[in-house]
Amino acid sequence: MKESAPGSPYQRHRLSVSERGEGPLLWRFSRVDRVLHALMVISFLGLVVTEIPLHFSYAPWARRAVRVFGGFEAAGLIHRMCAIITFGYFFGHIITLIVRYRRAPSAKQFFLGPNSMVPQKKDLLDVIQQFKWYFGRGPKPQFDRFSYMEKFDYWAVFWGVAIIGGSGMMLWFPEFFSGFMPGWMFNIATIIHGDEALLALGFIFTIHFFNVHLRPEKFPIDLVIFTGRATAEYMREEHPLEYQRLQAEGKLEERMAPPVDRTYYVWSIAMGFAALAMGVTTVALVIWTVLLH
Amino acid sequence: MIRTGSGPLGGGFAVLAMVSAGFVLCAPSSGAQEPPVEPDYDCTRCHSDPLFLEGKTETPEGDAALLVPPDLVLGSRHAELACTACHLEQGETGYPHSASVVAVQCGSCHEAEGQDWLASIHARNLADEGDGATCVDCHRAHDVYAADDRRSLTYPLNVAELCGSCHADPDIVGTYFALPEKADAREAVATYYETVHGVALTRAGLTVSAACNDCHEGHRVLSSDSPDASTHREQLTETCGACHQGVRDSWEQSAHGVAYREGTTAPNGRPAPSCADCHSSHAVVRAVTEEWFVGVVDECGDCHEHLYDTYFETYHGKVTRLGYGMTAKCSDCHTPHEMYPADDERSSVHPNNLVATCARCHPTANDNFAQYYPHGDPTDRENYPDLYWTWRFMSTLLAGVFLFFGIHTVLWIIRLMINRARGLGHDGGPRSGPPSPASEGAE
Repeated sequence: MKESAPGSPYQRHRLSVSERGEGPLLWRFSRVDRVLHALMVISFLGLVVTEIPLHFSYAPWARRAVRVFGGFEAAGLIHRMCAIITFGYFFGHIITLIVRYRRAPSAKQFFLGPNSMVPQKKDLLDVIQQFKWYFGRGPKPQFDRFSYMEKFDYWAVFWGVAIIGGSGMMLWFPEFFSGFMPGWMFNIATIIHGDEALLALGFIFTIHFFNVHLRPEKFPIDLVIFTGRATAEYMREEHPLEYQRLQAEGKLEERMAPPVDRTYYVWSIAMGFAALAMGVTTVALVIWTVLLH
Repeated sequence: MIRTGSGPLGGGFAVLAMVSAGFVLCAPSSGAQEPPVEPDYDCTRCHSDPLFLEGKTETPEGDAALLVPPDLVLGSRHAELACTACHLEQGETGYPHSASVVAVQCGSCHEAEGQDWLASIHARNLADEGDGATCVDCHRAHDVYAADDRRSLTYPLNVAELCGSCHADPDIVGTYFALPEKADAREAVATYYETVHGVALTRAGLTVSAACNDCHEGHRVLSSDSPDASTHREQLTETCGACHQGVRDSWEQSAHGVAYREGTTAPNGRPAPSCADCHSSHAVVRAVTEEWFVGVVDECGDCHEHLYDTYFETYHGKVTRLGYGMTAKCSDCHTPHEMYPADDERSSVHPNNLVATCARCHPTANDNFAQYYPHGDPTDRENYPDLYWTWRFMSTLLAGVFLFFGIHTVLWIIRLMINRARGLGHDGGPRSGPPSPASEGAE
């Protein structure tokens, strides 16, 4: 691609869907959200790749895979370190929620406003509208700041970290937990930990990847979560209600973002594609293993 | 010079030495032989003279077969014997003697060994195929030494090499162990060196470790198919137990030993195990290695199929299957040989002993801890309802989420394909929307 105009890397590369169209860049994700998401990507991938050899220990690749990490004890160590990162971003996020709650004009605004992740009636209507659109019975639903898919992703992680993290702690410190719970709880924790992890990796690496990165209007990657900013064009198409709201309130100006620093942009692409590739490879391996063994 | 032997062989039965030239008959003759009379001539005058012996024999070994330097015999276990003690007819026919009179019958003195050898597969092969190890192949002809003499081929440290001179010869094993089920026998010597017995003997130099003849016997060597063989399944506990007495005692008391004597079989029809069912003979690995501990689980699983499967559902099992000996394996909880039914108070998995058993790896284990199901089966609703319902709940959750979002995604893709076919934008509106990044990028 030839360099057509100097300025933001967006105009020069146009790799990502977040670079579609002309117009100003708008902030979509704050720095703390981006950092927490990056920690989530790194730790989740670390957890998954060190988990699946154990989960699918019967698979022909399992022994080799676990040796890549330096044996099962090293893999377990990496897994637990990633678990600590997970608890870190989880509680980091709780803190940001508390901060945002304090800054919010009202509790109602915080819990039920457009920036809230709390599912609302409109989300249910959006799901129905989405299916109507599938069958040609109406237009595509118009989303505000978060679509119902993003809210589901969010709560899936919230629930997942709590459930997988909780059961994981039990399995990490069985001697401690057996002080007050019967041993068969560890059997239950094993089932929940493994199946919930399978749900998480299956969901993230297929549904989440498709919804966010791989569907044609976004293919091959949506960098907004990494760069934090999206074009107005992107916002008008993906989050029209939020765009219109900002426009009506005259707040578009204050959401304007400067172009992405080139180094930061390259890192975003590298990290985004590496994570996509690892995820797709992993889920392909898991599906192949489940189907064939 | 060779002195005349008079009187019976002193301590000769440990020697098992027999002499022959060319061919051998180990059959004991009827009745004990009288000590030979002292010959009035000196055998060594001719038999230590290569020039004289030249062209005197047409045997494959050539003249060298006839060359018997006096030192050879004088240094041996048979130093006290006259030549004619073995070469009987020689003493009677006098000089010059014919080639046909050199037949030697070792069994005439070594009666028990001769009988054992006659019963062996070596003797049968000699009769049937004209080929089989005889006395001199293992004990040599003239330089015969006691088995505890380091110069002897039958000294413990030398046995594997001695047996291997035939049993590691590709031509020989290829001929006699050609059948597929004899594959192990073709590799017997090579694998022996890898076993705990072979390592102890050859690398640790431990002469009490089992050499070939300790399990297969020295003379009555038989195929393990033969009921009389020391290596036959029915004889193994005696054979192995000769050295491993403590283990044999434990095994006899154990559930396996009881079931073995009673002839009880596993649900899949396999008989109760004796030694080699778990410690496969020529892959006897030292039972302290990771390799052994990881591998022995499969041996237990041959009979305990369900326990085997459910074990691999646990963290213990999964780590083991990845090839690491770190986590609990069958014998860590059930002991290697002292296993009893769980309702037997001696059992390591009896409720009274469970905490102590867990505590061997988990030092702080308590009553709660010991309520873990080491063989929990989530598909077993009757015995593990808690696991069953957890598993059902999780399966339903997974199926529900993937079903809903699978449909959600597939329908989305179909919609996009329809829109594209109709020349519409991604959202179904006119294509006035955002130009695709690709086309934009080509500007």
